[in-house]
Amino acid sequence: MKKRLGIISFFVIIFIAFIVVWNHSYQQGLEEAYMPVIETPTGNFIPSESGVFRRFDGTSIDYANMPVDENHQRTLKDYYENKAYPGAPPSIPHPVAKERSFGGNTCLQCHQSGGFVEKFNAYAPITPHPEMVNCRQCHVTKNTTTTFKEFAFSKPQPPKVGEGVNNALIGSPPMIPHQLQMRNNCISCHAGPSAPIEIRVSHPERVNCRQCHVPKEKKQLEIDESNFFRQFDDLNEK
Amino acid sequence: MNESLTNRRVFIKKMAMLSAMTAAASMFPGILFASEQEAGIPADANLDWKKGPCRFCGVGCGILVGTENGKAVAVKGDPNSSVNKGLLCVKGYHQIMCIQSKDRLTHALVKKNGKYVQTPINEALDIVANKMKETIANHGKDSVAMYTSGQSTIPEGYVASKLMKGAIGTNNLDCNARLCMASAVTGFLTTFGADEPMGCYEDIDHADYFITWGNNMAEMHPVLFSRMLEQKTRRGVKIIDFATRTTRSSTASDRSILFEPQTDLAVANAICYEIIKNGWVNKSFVEKHCSFSKGLTNMGYGLEDNYKFKDKPEKIDFEAYKEFLKDYSPEKVSKYSKVSVKDIKYLAAIYGNPNKKVVSYWCMGMNQHTRGTWMNNLVYNIHLLTGKISQPGNGPFSLTGQPSACGTAREVGTFTHKLPHGVVMNKKDREMAARIWKVPVEGIPSKPTYHATEMFRAVDRGDIKFIWTQATNPLVSLPKTGRYRPAMEKKSCFVVVSDVFPTPTSDVADVILPASWHIEKSGLYGNSERRTQHWDKMVEGPGETMDDAWMFIEVAKRMGYGDLFPYSKENHVEEIYNEYRQFHEGAKHGMAPLEVLKKESGAIWPYVDGKSTQWRFNSKYDPACSNGEDFHFYGKPDGKAIIWQRPFEDAPEKPDQEYPFWLNTGRVIEHWHTGSMTRRIPVLHQAMPNAYVEFHPDDAKSLGIRNGENVKVTSRRGSCTLPASINERGLPTKGQVFVPFFDENMLINDVTLDAFCPISKEPDYKKCAVKVQKA
Repeated sequence: MKKRLGIISFFVIIFIAFIVVWNHSYQQGLEEAYMPVIETPTGNFIPSESGVFRRFDGTSIDYANMPVDENHQRTLKDYYENKAYPGAPPSIPHPVAKERSFGGNTCLQCHQSGGFVEKFNAYAPITPHPEMVNCRQCHVTKNTTTTFKEFAFSKPQPPKVGEGVNNALIGSPPMIPHQLQMRNNCISCHAGPSAPIEIRVSHPERVNCRQCHVPKEKKQLEIDESNFFRQFDDLNEK
Repeated sequence: MNESLTNRRVFIKKMAMLSAMTAAASMFPGILFASEQEAGIPADANLDWKKGPCRFCGVGCGILVGTENGKAVAVKGDPNSSVNKGLLCVKGYHQIMCIQSKDRLTHALVKKNGKYVQTPINEALDIVANKMKETIANHGKDSVAMYTSGQSTIPEGYVASKLMKGAIGTNNLDCNARLCMASAVTGFLTTFGADEPMGCYEDIDHADYFITWGNNMAEMHPVLFSRMLEQKTRRGVKIIDFATRTTRSSTASDRSILFEPQTDLAVANAICYEIIKNGWVNKSFVEKHCSFSKGLTNMGYGLEDNYKFKDKPEKIDFEAYKEFLKDYSPEKVSKYSKVSVKDIKYLAAIYGNPNKKVVSYWCMGMNQHTRGTWMNNLVYNIHLLTGKISQPGNGPFSLTGQPSACGTAREVGTFTHKLPHGVVMNKKDREMAARIWKVPVEGIPSKPTYHATEMFRAVDRGDIKFIWTQATNPLVSLPKTGRYRPAMEKKSCFVVVSDVFPTPTSDVADVILPASWHIEKSGLYGNSERRTQHWDKMVEGPGETMDDAWMFIEVAKRMGYGDLFPYSKENHVEEIYNEYRQFHEGAKHGMAPLEVLKKESGAIWPYVDGKSTQWRFNSKYDPACSNGEDFHFYGKPDGKAIIWQRPFEDAPEKPDQEYPFWLNTGRVIEHWHTGSMTRRIPVLHQAMPNAYVEFHPDDAKSLGIRNGENVKVTSRRGSCTLPASINERGLPTKGQVFVPFFDENMLINDVTLDAFCPISKEPDYKKCAVKVQKA
């Protein structure tokens, strides 16, 4: 009797343990399926401000000590070729590994930190927003070169770059000629071997980019001139 | 094959060169940077580079201005300046652009029958001098006043002080540094008996931890912040941001700790409580170099006219201080400060760790505080208890906002109670001033009169009948401008404004005098690390513009004080500086001779035997230490710094049912002071064209306010309508809104409260109660 009870309780324990382990592994499976945010920002987070300091935590790429591989440089022309218009999300110019996977499992393997890819004979461009892991929500592959109907969209000219174009004074730091939304992490495009040569920064180690470089144009509010009248405005005009 | 080999060789060569260059860059950052910038300048540009300090904030970066055909055309960082090592911020790089602004004040304007009439400057100066004389004759010396600036050069401040206190004989001289640095001054004087920081910027290269107290350095002192970030990447130093609002600095910090406005007093005490409780007190240091005192409490807030307060210090002992701290255990403080017990203990552990070097930085958050003097005292307490002071990489460091708040306002002393050496209340100091100024000592009055806020209240009451403002814009920068604008418009007071550009202050002037800008005159500034910097005139000013010092001298001559101002027009800056230096002779405050300042990118005082003193009160570095010990706080008669017992007291106005939000005001990286200069620089204006009101996203949601929508911010004093900003530059805590004050078209200071610290008389721009509604 005792022996039978022992055997039964043994199997009961085994069964309970099995259920516990099974549940646990099931829960774990769920967690794996969820793509966690890659970086937990230190301190608090301001969407439009925090990005600039990313990748300077010491664990990321050492931009200050990065050689330039002159044989595999991107140009600004290549950079804009993949975009429908300046500021548009670039399309994916290469076949994708797995059609149904995303984020950290595939794209970010190359596009978080970059590096040379033998297969494409190029350095992988680095994403300025690695925390957004549903990459292909915006970035799609180019599977055909034809169009459904002819279309008349003409690509707007990208902002001009070069000495004297975006800077106000001789030698002064150029202003930022593009929008910053989702492009807050300056060095992802302006430093490293995948940065287009024309916009590669000479001093990537400086971290606080927007100390010197400010956006060129911000929409100005219309000021109600009626309550803003300088008494001698007309006098100065003479 | 051959080709690829050479390519590889070239590649390897370049790599080697590049790595050498980057190594050099990390060793001497900035030096390489400036030459890089030079490389961007076309070869045919025939620029002449002249050195000087930056026009804007108190960091005091060295700049080089490129001139061509008599016009300033470029700016770069001065690689020889140890302040910034060749790097500047966006304001610094573009500073010269405002000179060419089309609405520049080029001629004197005199109001006649309600219209401004262009007047030759000599006539305008006659009018000013006559009006001043006439006012004194009719209403007495104390009916005329002068309001100057932390942007005045050292000679300008010196001549102003000599004219008002020495020649005329009134203490009606105060300056806008009262609105930004007064609490720092009283903090230093009460704790150490000697003004200005003991350390210097080189502390950044030695510290392990930076704790910023209510200080958004990434935007306000960006060049220093970049030096900290550089140490972070190179040595892994940690930055901890302790603030009431999440800012660009918070996001770059290793840890951001938020607190409820005003409770910084309690948290600082809680840190001291923990330090004592855990035995982290540096006992031998405290025994040898510190004493304990308490002062009066429940001081009030100076909201009423003619408010007076005088502290009564009383010595206490360590046991009494320990007993006092019992109310400030982290558990108790955590309840109302909204800082977790863990975070308080974390901060205390950093200060308490004997193996880590800590620098505390602060600026307006602690100074513009109705208990600003106390707050400064409390941070000194932490550093004194742990002995982390006056050593490379260890120390409290009070940053300044204006380029010569230290050099002019504090050292020359353009405050009502100050003299170039000491205070008017002290007979010896008056005697010294009388001797150097060659005036009878009885002529210098011994009683201080009006501090900034009270000065404009006196204008409103009609007590002051003549006021001359210089290099400042009080009708944008004073708190509660809603009262002081009508006050300045009153017929009872004659207003003279010297400025470079028209401002809301010059709009109410009876006479507007056209001032030379920064590089259109020679001058000297003194920055936050006690560095005095000189520059020579670089370009000619337009029209009849005149430097402020010379305007004062011209008026003094017209008033019959010519004998006291025997300076020459060509060389007055040098002559005045040499006269002024006599006030500070000696090991405690010796100033570098002009020849040195002309050659070098500034020198730190005390300048003794041809050497800058980088760390004061430390006998290893400071020749003024004379007690034979490692440290000597010689500002106090007993050589000991004071640890002050200062309690937590509430803000004068707190959010309530009717006015449910805290209003915090401040700056943005693009604009400086009241924006009268930076808004005239196209690059800066385009990047930040107008002010805004920041909301926490949850507050915005519950109020139904979307980004960019106009919102009316109203307090008991006035209102201001601005576009909402959600999740942009900064992120206030829930229940708080933030507005930058640079925008003269959206005057947030109509809304702020003119309560001030009773000891320093510095107003609190960071805390008052407002309501918000869609406009």
